[in-house]
Amino acid sequence: MNGNTKMKRHPVCKSEELTEGSIMKVTVGMEDIMIGRKNGRLFACNNSCPHKGASLSKGHMNGDNIVCYMHGYEYNVFSGKLEDMKSWKKEPTWVEQDEEWRKSGDLFLYPISEENGMVYVSLKEAQP
Amino acid sequence: MVKGEVPNIVALEVLKKNGVNVEKLKELLTKGVGAEFTTYYYYTILRMHCTGLDGEGIKEIVEDARIEDRNHFEAMVPRLYELGGSLPKDIRKFADQAGCPDAYLPDNWEDINSILKVLLEAEQCAIRSWGEVCDMTAGKDPRTYDIAQRIMQEEVEHEAWFIELLSKRPSGHFRRKFAGQSPHTGSQGSLIHL
Repeated sequence: MNGNTKMKRHPVCKSEELTEGSIMKVTVGMEDIMIGRKNGRLFACNNSCPHKGASLSKGHMNGDNIVCYMHGYEYNVFSGKLEDMKSWKKEPTWVEQDEEWRKSGDLFLYPISEENGMVYVSLKEAQP
Repeated sequence: MVKGEVPNIVALEVLKKNGVNVEKLKELLTKGVGAEFTTYYYYTILRMHCTGLDGEGIKEIVEDARIEDRNHFEAMVPRLYELGGSLPKDIRKFADQAGCPDAYLPDNWEDINSILKVLLEAEQCAIRSWGEVCDMTAGKDPRTYDIAQRIMQEEVEHEAWFIELLSKRPSGHFRRKFAGQSPHTGSQGSLIHL
């Protein structure tokens, strides 16, 4: 995140709605964002999987990782890093996918905070 | 109007007002049609390897799925361009960005079940992929939604066929009227070859 960029804080839900271990999708402007709470820590990332664009909020958590429901890739929701690039091979006789198809970037994270019973996500302010 | 100048496009304006992220939608459509096109290619190889007595029993159903996946590509590509998107100029990039894995011929293809498992995996990925487009456009972009839901209906049928062949779970399937009939996407105006 560029430190010089002006950020705007957006209220996205009540604190009580984001229970421990839960994830949910919220929309700010045109951006779909997945937010969640794990071991008391909040996280927010773009809801689009960096691999092939599936909705991450349809996935499930594995420890600190979100597991994408489309191809099973796992990303750490706090660091944003790709942690497990799952093979498509369900049988030993299947041929592995090409490297170019398999590669993925990391999650796009947003600052998230909680104050007075509300959860806020900060996004770059739209340029006039 | 100056040549090359694009006027205000009301069909896009209303989508944005409805809250559709058009850039994201174009990305998903490009990945979706990429998966359909590559699947059509790989299903050709899979169908060629439906050999022997077992293979004879399934090659027609594989052919239906193969042609219908090509029809899905044909049905959605015009909509991608209407939205201002385009196909990658290089087919290698087109294949690499596809939303689903390549349905490679398995090493033990002589076992017909191994081919069926690959076919099933491809159909299941396609259902998830078009489900994303349906979710994004439902109630906001009726034109894209209509095409995507037609494609998804056929992908759901394909999944049911291959599950039936693998597990004997009834799918309700009998046969298409002709190979690759596409009962749902076949009514799309773009499919002029049907």
